[in-house]
Amino acid sequence: MKEEIIRLEGVSYSYHDHVPAVCDIDLAIGEGDKYAIIGANGCGKSTLLQIMNGLIYQSRGKFFFRGHEVSEQALRDKGFLRFFRERVGYVFQDSDVQLFCPTVLDELLYGPLQLEIGKEEALARAFQVMEILKIENLKDRPSYMLSGGEKKRVALGSVLTMNPEVLLLDEPTNGLDPRTQCFLVELMFALSEAGKTLVIATHDLALVDDLHTTVALLSEAHRIEKLGAADDILSDEELLLSVNLVHEHTHYNGPATHKHRHSHYFFHKH
Amino acid sequence: MASDIPPFLLTKPAAHTYERGRGKLKTTFIEKGIHHLAEVIRTGYVQWETATRDNFFQKIDARVKVLFLIFFIIIVSLKKDILAEALIGAFLFILMLVSRLNIFRLYKRILFLAFIFGFLVALPSAFNFITRGEIVLTVLRMPKPLSLWIYMIPAEIGLTREGLYGVIMLTLRVANSLAISFFVLNTTTFTEIIKALKILRIADGFLMILTLSYKYIFIFARMAEDMHLAKKSRLAGQVNNTDARRWIAGRMALIFKKTQLRCEDIFKAMLCRGFSNRIMIYGVGKLQARDWLAGVTFSLVGALFLWM
Repeated sequence: MKEEIIRLEGVSYSYHDHVPAVCDIDLAIGEGDKYAIIGANGCGKSTLLQIMNGLIYQSRGKFFFRGHEVSEQALRDKGFLRFFRERVGYVFQDSDVQLFCPTVLDELLYGPLQLEIGKEEALARAFQVMEILKIENLKDRPSYMLSGGEKKRVALGSVLTMNPEVLLLDEPTNGLDPRTQCFLVELMFALSEAGKTLVIATHDLALVDDLHTTVALLSEAHRIEKLGAADDILSDEELLLSVNLVHEHTHYNGPATHKHRHSHYFFHKH
Repeated sequence: MASDIPPFLLTKPAAHTYERGRGKLKTTFIEKGIHHLAEVIRTGYVQWETATRDNFFQKIDARVKVLFLIFFIIIVSLKKDILAEALIGAFLFILMLVSRLNIFRLYKRILFLAFIFGFLVALPSAFNFITRGEIVLTVLRMPKPLSLWIYMIPAEIGLTREGLYGVIMLTLRVANSLAISFFVLNTTTFTEIIKALKILRIADGFLMILTLSYKYIFIFARMAEDMHLAKKSRLAGQVNNTDARRWIAGRMALIFKKTQLRCEDIFKAMLCRGFSNRIMIYGVGKLQARDWLAGVTFSLVGALFLWM
């Protein structure tokens, strides 16, 4: 049986103390799991990932990592902060905000150096990660001179060099061309095979289907609508319709019209 | 792909417990600064929320409110009497109560700013070597007067009645001006203010700068906050103040570069939608009876304060 690595108990969070982002979330993620948090825009996926990375703190409920409660107070302890940060990595949805170092190489070295890994080891990690992500030619470039796909690879690389056990990925394939999307899916598979726990926030149903993840479906009321295997949830069109992950679509073919449910996933399902 | 995974990514941490007793992290100035920046976004949200409520002053047309703002700030600046200033303050307090604003939060900011930019700035002028008059509180007594260049420092140094009167007046003026501004800002949305200024024939260039600056502050605050979170997610220990300052200096350049690129994109988006250096507004209705009534009432109250 897999060891539980992340557990959320009744977690809620509101922005500006008024705007609810997530309400009463209970979920448990096992070591090595591929876990997807899916839902429509604004349902609280990114907020949930930020709570799981200890970047913001839940207003109610508890969050445990490997049985240790993670809170603002707990992360003030230097020992626990180091323990938590070297084990949980977060790839932001907007790579622009994640890339804050002068060059790509500096970006890849930032995390390992923070973890007090020796410079030689850190450099070795950076070059190995650049090789697997195929970004060796970008090493001296500043982040604002990269394309969207390149930024995403560098952002992922900047977390991989820290070798975290858990990778929190916020909309990893959003806005990427099909080839880069395909590359990322293969990489996620490989990382999962290597024993990493993947937690992905997305509304890309094809990605969820490709990775065969466990799914937590968030409703527009910011609550968990259903937990289950990807196959079970993706096959329930009524459920997906109710949380706005698919929509009804009308076609006009000359005088004839017909209506059907539509999403990128259903369209390309194979 | 699986065979390409570097060996270091296959290694796992030895233990699932952490080393205790390594000490506690202190909140650095950078963390506090970012929290203040985040407060900008929160303040913007709170202002928008209070301005869209269905209360007394919120319902009044923005043109009346902008004229009220200008008229009352002129009155506050002209009055030379503490009682009149105190009465204006009381009138504004009642208006805030009627509009159901968060009195505690607003007055905390107003009094803090009035203390810094009113009281502390004016306090030195209360001493007898700047404002002559009757000393009410002696601070220092010297054996004989001192002569410094063209200035004569008297033997007895203290706060004068006339000087203190001036300090209280200036503090009240600053507090009242702030109260009027915060009151209008918290009862009128930014877009309504811009519309009102446009109707009052303020130059388009000025309004454009005002609108873009307002938007820029939020974009800048959001970007800085997100970047701080991204850094925080990869930080595993205490950063000393020197390193934090270096980081800030380096990242400021990066943020400005990114912001410049974002601004160019925004300007292109404006151009492609037909922008030609003119602000076009819509949805400006006629003043209603309620607006005229409020306008006349404020004018009469203002005239009364001027007459006092």
